[in-house]
Amino acid sequence: MFTYVVRRILQSIPILFVVLTLVFVVVRVLPGDPAVAALGDYASKEAVEALREKMGLNAPLWLQYIRFLGSLARGDLGISAITGYPVAQQVVKVLPHTLELTFCAIVFGYLLGIPLGISSAVKRNTFVDYFNRVFSLLGLSVPAFYLGILLILLFCIQFPLFPVVGAGDFSRPVENLRHLFLPGLTLGLLMTAYVTRMTRSSILDTIREDFVRTAYAKGVAERVVLYKHVLRNAMIPIVTLGGLYAVVLIGSSVMVEIVFSRPGLGKLMVGAIKQRDYTTLQSVMVIYAVIVVMINLAIDLIYGLIDPRIKYD
Amino acid sequence: MRTSIRAMTLLVLLLCFPMIPSHGHAEGLAKEQVLTIAFDAGDAKTFDPHRAASTVDRSTVDSMFNGLVRYPPGRQVGFEPDLAESWEVSKDGKTWTFHLRKGVYFHPFPGFPEGYELTSEDVVYSLQRAANPEHSAYAGEYEGVQVKAVDPYTLQIQIAKPISETLFLAKFANYAGGFIVSKKALETKGEDWFKTHPVGTGPFRFENYEPQQKTVLARHDKYFRGKPILEKVVIRYMPNVSSREFGLRTGELQIIEGLNEAKWIEKVATFPDVKVQTFGPCEVQMLHFNMTKKPFDDIRVRKAFCYAVSRAEVAAFMGESLAEPIYSGALAPPAPGALTKQEAEEAGVVYEDNVEMAKKLLAEAGYPNGFETEVIISELATSYRKPMVALQAQVKKAGINMKKLKVVDHSSFHGLIRDDASPLVYYACWRPNVDVFLTRFFHSDSTVVSGKKPDTNFSHYGTVDADGDGTIDTIDQLIEQARWELDAQKQADLWRKAQIQLLSDVSHLPVIRLKYAFPMKSYVDLGHPLEYSWQTYSPQITEKTRILAH
Repeated sequence: MFTYVVRRILQSIPILFVVLTLVFVVVRVLPGDPAVAALGDYASKEAVEALREKMGLNAPLWLQYIRFLGSLARGDLGISAITGYPVAQQVVKVLPHTLELTFCAIVFGYLLGIPLGISSAVKRNTFVDYFNRVFSLLGLSVPAFYLGILLILLFCIQFPLFPVVGAGDFSRPVENLRHLFLPGLTLGLLMTAYVTRMTRSSILDTIREDFVRTAYAKGVAERVVLYKHVLRNAMIPIVTLGGLYAVVLIGSSVMVEIVFSRPGLGKLMVGAIKQRDYTTLQSVMVIYAVIVVMINLAIDLIYGLIDPRIKYD
Repeated sequence: MRTSIRAMTLLVLLLCFPMIPSHGHAEGLAKEQVLTIAFDAGDAKTFDPHRAASTVDRSTVDSMFNGLVRYPPGRQVGFEPDLAESWEVSKDGKTWTFHLRKGVYFHPFPGFPEGYELTSEDVVYSLQRAANPEHSAYAGEYEGVQVKAVDPYTLQIQIAKPISETLFLAKFANYAGGFIVSKKALETKGEDWFKTHPVGTGPFRFENYEPQQKTVLARHDKYFRGKPILEKVVIRYMPNVSSREFGLRTGELQIIEGLNEAKWIEKVATFPDVKVQTFGPCEVQMLHFNMTKKPFDDIRVRKAFCYAVSRAEVAAFMGESLAEPIYSGALAPPAPGALTKQEAEEAGVVYEDNVEMAKKLLAEAGYPNGFETEVIISELATSYRKPMVALQAQVKKAGINMKKLKVVDHSSFHGLIRDDASPLVYYACWRPNVDVFLTRFFHSDSTVVSGKKPDTNFSHYGTVDADGDGTIDTIDQLIEQARWELDAQKQADLWRKAQIQLLSDVSHLPVIRLKYAFPMKSYVDLGHPLEYSWQTYSPQITEKTRILAH
């Protein structure tokens, strides 16, 4: 297992390297001067030049690239030239909000999606199945920003149960949960759609397997067959889906962060793109890449827990 | 039984008690004096007043810092004393002496838990910092300015050539490089610390900042104009207008940056407990013709373009309560020296609202069937995209087909127009006076790419033959002459003359000026009228701002 994990981590280094290089090149191809973005259009030419020099933008591209890699190798994400804050400090402040939002969305996704998927599969081609499928289709079709606004209208304006503004404070868990509920639900409904559809199809595949027929032949109760035999075997693709879509959710969270005025990694990245904040953008992309690699690794390891047949060499 | 019912009733009442709103105060003020204001911004960029450029950053630093003089809050015409209680100028006009107020204290910071009293040393240090391009975005404004402390409460500012009070005081007002920072904070804690822990003398001091969420300012108890009424000001970063609107409706926000759209304002004005006040004039919106690119190198084409445009229609499209046509070549009245409509008409430089004339001029210029052109425009709706769409529809009637509006993000827009990539540049901005405006947009040195100090002269005025008479047309001398003119009336006349020349040569088309809208709860009292607020683009939060009982 240990060798496997080390090997996977080593395999991810070239992937990270490619991502870093692509990001480095792409942000510099975009028109727009980070110094002008930082100082505004009223800034004097001398000040813009001084800032460009300070940001190292007057150096040749290859030198900027080497400096960037050198900083990363030392574990230094750099200092945002726009805000003056260390990027690592900014990431540390916003990442927990993104992670809690994603986690909450996954929890909503599984809590709602698995029962819906099971009921769809068991009551295939009935009204329940059609309803669940339409519901999951809606989850996929309705943009998160629109759904978020509808939920705010319902639960903050018509029935003022939740706050609209901000992300709450981690030191006050109840307040934090109140701020998290609606954004988590908004993103979670997207996840619910994926989980419902995948659970349904996976159960339908598994239910036709020989061991299920054997279980029924032995007289095992339907509920036991369903939950003990079918569901456990059907879980592998559902868990994989969780991993895959955790990455999608982190990427999709930016709209939810904007609608609910929450901080987050997505918002940090969008802001960095708008401001041409190369240092922050590059660092955020590195963190995204690391998260994707780590989630994929975690999913591979969880396989072994669900399916004892899977061995790690 | 009856006893238990009474006990239950009492219990329910006790539980409900905290839910009953209790904002009232005997004096007519709300119990909680915390004002939350939300801006259309993803995050703060900086708290350094010498670098603050965006609306939210300028508004934040405005509450924390002072200048030697200030624009009167809410009606920013002329100057009034701020940190300096009086000033005088020498006979030769080169030496200005400022007398500082006594008892002005900086905010507390580590090592100075009670703050410390402002002296001329701080002002000298601050103005020298403002002149240093390493630390200030506005260094260019302070070239040739020498500052020295005479005594703790007196300082002298020397300039190489005398300039008018209008131009001089603008450099030392509560805007850009004019904000006074704490010398001791910068010297003891360093530049990097200061960027994230600003220390000024303003009514509110920096308390904390949460990235992408909020900045909290707390009351500066020793503020020299008196203890502020508000205990805290919370500045929220909320780029989504619907979220800001919902926050205002629920009362979580008391003031929000609105949309500069009439229909939106009408809608928000119907919300209970909400008042919408528009203020301005803020930015002016102008279309600059790139006179080095065909067909705009021909004055007849530029004039035809102008004739095809109806400013009134553009203003109506934007909302008549918000937008107003402008005829000034630089800024807009009441800025001293900005051309009024009447003056422009008398000078014969108003070309508008005549499609037939536009077609005739195009035919004379060799474009009887019109022509096609592409334009790069910023994504920002109210200041760029929307008015440009209105112009696009209008000029099409004359045969000018702006077939493609290439919408790009705002940073790209600024990069591309400075690379001379667009034949037409629609630009919205405010500048502190007509001199700055004319210099930055029409002085030959400011010509994009090729100027000595490339800036925002998108039309290339001063480097081309604008009117086709075989000579280069320029207002460089007029700008210089006006800059050194001490008589305010003569200076304004020179600025008007320069604008008339520009408009006569059709280097650009002044279109509209746009008011801003910041809806707020009806129980918010800013403490000053809100007529103009051009240096922050937002309502100023001062020591008099308060929340009334509601």
